[in-house]
Amino acid sequence: MSGASAADVRSILSLPPSGPQSNPSHPPPPLKKAGSGRKPEGISRELYALIGPTVPSLLQSSKPRLKQKPNLGGGSRRVKWEHRNFKNPARKDSLQLQHWAKADDPEDDYVFAKYNVESNIYTYSQDEYNRLLEDSEWTKEETDYLFNIVREYDLRWFVIHDRYEFSGGPERSLEDLKDRYYSVCRKLVRSRPWPGDEASKSQLLNSLQFDKEREVTRKKYLTSLASRTPAQIAEEEALFIEIKRLEQTERRFKKDREELLRTLAGVESGLEGVFVDDDGPMGVSESKKKKKHGGDWESASAASNVISLGTPVPKKGQQSTKASVPSPEEDILHCIHRTSALVPNNLPATKNAHTPVYLRSAKIPVPKPAGLAPKVTAALAELGINHQRLVMPTKENCEKLESLLDAAAALVDLKRAVDRVEQEIKTSRERMDKSKSTSASVAGDAPETPMDLDQDETGTERDAEGEKEDESVRAQSVVSTRSTRGRKSSRRSMSISSVDTSTPVATRATKRMKK
Amino acid sequence: MVQYGGDEVAALVVDIGSSSVRAGYAGDDTPKAIIPTSYGYIAETSTGDDVEMGDGSQESPATRPNAKMYIGQNGPSMWRPDMEIANPMQNGMIHDFAPIPPLISYALKDVMRCNPIEHPVLVTEPAWNTPANRERMAEIMFEEFQVPAFYIANTGVLNAFAAGKGSALVVDIGQSMASVTPVVDGFVLRKGLQYSALPQLVHAHAKHLLTSPTQHRPAIQLLPHQLIASKMVNRPLIPSVAILPVMLNVKPVEPGQPPKFTPREDRISQTTDSWRVWAEGREVDEWVQSVAGVLDQGWNEQAVIQRPARQYEFPTGFNTYFGPERYSVGELYFNHSMIADRNDNLPRALPSLITASISSCDADTRHILMSNMVVTGGGSLFSGLVDRLNNELSRHWQVKLHAPGNTVERRYGGWLGGSILASLGTFHQLWISKEEWQDHGKAIVGQRCK
Repeated sequence: MSGASAADVRSILSLPPSGPQSNPSHPPPPLKKAGSGRKPEGISRELYALIGPTVPSLLQSSKPRLKQKPNLGGGSRRVKWEHRNFKNPARKDSLQLQHWAKADDPEDDYVFAKYNVESNIYTYSQDEYNRLLEDSEWTKEETDYLFNIVREYDLRWFVIHDRYEFSGGPERSLEDLKDRYYSVCRKLVRSRPWPGDEASKSQLLNSLQFDKEREVTRKKYLTSLASRTPAQIAEEEALFIEIKRLEQTERRFKKDREELLRTLAGVESGLEGVFVDDDGPMGVSESKKKKKHGGDWESASAASNVISLGTPVPKKGQQSTKASVPSPEEDILHCIHRTSALVPNNLPATKNAHTPVYLRSAKIPVPKPAGLAPKVTAALAELGINHQRLVMPTKENCEKLESLLDAAAALVDLKRAVDRVEQEIKTSRERMDKSKSTSASVAGDAPETPMDLDQDETGTERDAEGEKEDESVRAQSVVSTRSTRGRKSSRRSMSISSVDTSTPVATRATKRMKK
Repeated sequence: MVQYGGDEVAALVVDIGSSSVRAGYAGDDTPKAIIPTSYGYIAETSTGDDVEMGDGSQESPATRPNAKMYIGQNGPSMWRPDMEIANPMQNGMIHDFAPIPPLISYALKDVMRCNPIEHPVLVTEPAWNTPANRERMAEIMFEEFQVPAFYIANTGVLNAFAAGKGSALVVDIGQSMASVTPVVDGFVLRKGLQYSALPQLVHAHAKHLLTSPTQHRPAIQLLPHQLIASKMVNRPLIPSVAILPVMLNVKPVEPGQPPKFTPREDRISQTTDSWRVWAEGREVDEWVQSVAGVLDQGWNEQAVIQRPARQYEFPTGFNTYFGPERYSVGELYFNHSMIADRNDNLPRALPSLITASISSCDADTRHILMSNMVVTGGGSLFSGLVDRLNNELSRHWQVKLHAPGNTVERRYGGWLGGSILASLGTFHQLWISKEEWQDHGKAIVGQRCK
């Protein structure tokens, strides 16, 4: 049972026998190879049989001291103990108790005598009492009694108060006793010559300070706290939780609002209390400082990160600098497109008064007259154009798309007019046929439109036009990319990200969102 | 040795309680001698060669000049013709000092086999002990036992020390008294001390319950086994075991059936009333200890019925299952509504004792006391009592109850605290030496043992 070897364990775990031994019926001798030598000390035989020579190095290095064996004097000298009388210096009588002590220990001083520490209680003379310590509420006798009992119980005030029984005296509260004692002590310290410096004296006086009123109020408060009924405690707790909840809600609301404002109002919003550093990697303080002199390159490039500035309302402090900065040359240099002139400064800086930053892809133009929108969409869909999505929503492409939409809208509009006129012509012709008279003045309008009277012809023509426009858009989009690249190469040190297409902008935007 | 502040001077610790006198060496964890405080005595001189102790030399118990005293494990529990039983304690205090020297002498000299002249002795006292009583105790120790040094310590303080606390609210439930003692820095706050004879009420109620008939069972005769010659027990008869022939003929007593037993008529006529009361009290105590309990969540008729009934067999052979009534006993520790609606004469229940004690303490100490509540005493071993107490108190305050799991620690907490105290090196300056006793007289006791 005790001699379980590695093979036993292996057989229990149904593992193949290890190493060269392949004969299970003939259990190998314990893994004691000549090289590994004998079982190291500190490992039980059974354990060694299990783990074999692969002993953890830790065990070999130090012998485990699992059980402390008493050192029974083997080698070391014997200690002689003797039962001896001892005298406690704290005692005033001659009582001698007996204990066992080492024979070579000195006999004179008792080990526990040093723990007999007496507290330093002030005493006063009759003269001092008469001069300083007179109190209408305390007699000398009672004060003496108080000081005696304080000495007796080593300033343990709870015990002093408990044991305080001065016959004939009024009922004293704990605060009364403390107040009297400490006031007497303070007076004594003040009146007596002080050997040390002033600092230590005032420190001592501070330690003797006792504010009775405050203590009484505190005790009252404590008592009232302790005497709450369970219902009151429950109510209090409920209120506390409610307050916590309200606070939390408010904090969350504030945070949400701030975040929302950051997202909506963006960098240049003049909303107070919303601070947004518009320069991702830049430190807050740095960008703040940079904003002060806004004309420099950093600020401009920072501003150029935003593809389309709405109508930025400059912050109050920035108004002058910002207003002086923009010049057409620099705008072109830094690919800044200003959609419209600055909003007049007298406009109130409210949310409605300005357009926040947005991604151009979010504002892809839609067919303008809402009534025509379905038809325009249908027309474009016939051409295989999805006007809601632009591969490269650059400024130019957006403009192209807008013009395309405008054109399409105009087309649809015209088509409608043509249809109407056609209808009119038809009716007039019928009337004319009836009256056998022709009028060329009405048909004169028709040649103005680019479409024929024939329905099919109009369709093909529109197809062609659409295709042409589509192509032009695509070409434009490609060209615009190319052209920006070209421009980029010609620029001195323009950062690619600031000029390049929408993807970096998007990442920047998300970064800002995360803040 | 110095690390834990111990310095053994071979002091003896004597803890006298209502049920037992504990004596042992300071530094031990269990008293060496535990003898019942009740003792037997026979007024006229007896020739019995039983364990005898002293001869009650002075004004012996209740006016028996030459009474023979029977002390120890074989004292009161052994039936003797015309032996009376007395107990020197009343409400936790020593009421009759005459049998105290024999009791202490028996414990120290006969059980421990040591000579008190060689050892300082620490004696315990309840917190409500009178100065006259402690002085009398000092007198006994110095004058009769010639001890070299003496100290009398408060059981409340000692129980706190036994729990390893200097400040604690000690809830001590003994055999006759339940007390709540606030201890701060090793001093009893006397104004907060509360005690009542609650265990006596519980005992009396239990006895009343057992001896009055209910619809399920007749009144129970609390005859002790000393007065019963033979009985039929509810036990399957095993043929292989040699059984008295008389028992083989009769069927055992079924639960709830009237007992069939033969009393020892010869003894009954010579049994004194005091012995009988003592013996019956012991039967009640045994029943309480093995069957009675207290619900941990307050009295609840449904909950009581759901608890399993417990079988108990009395010495007469009568046995039955005790259901709700076994819980009604413990309920008395917490409220008296079971037996009386409003009766101010009844000893106060534990919660009201604790509340009164706490509220009479300073507001600053309350927190310390409530987070250091020590529940101790043999009565606190009442089944479910500590849990119930914890539940009751937690409803009003944040309390932390400390109740030793070790029953010896719980029963002899006072002795254990004395054992700790008397083996401390720093304590030895507090002993009242014989010299001081002779110089100052009785006054020294009050001065030294604060």
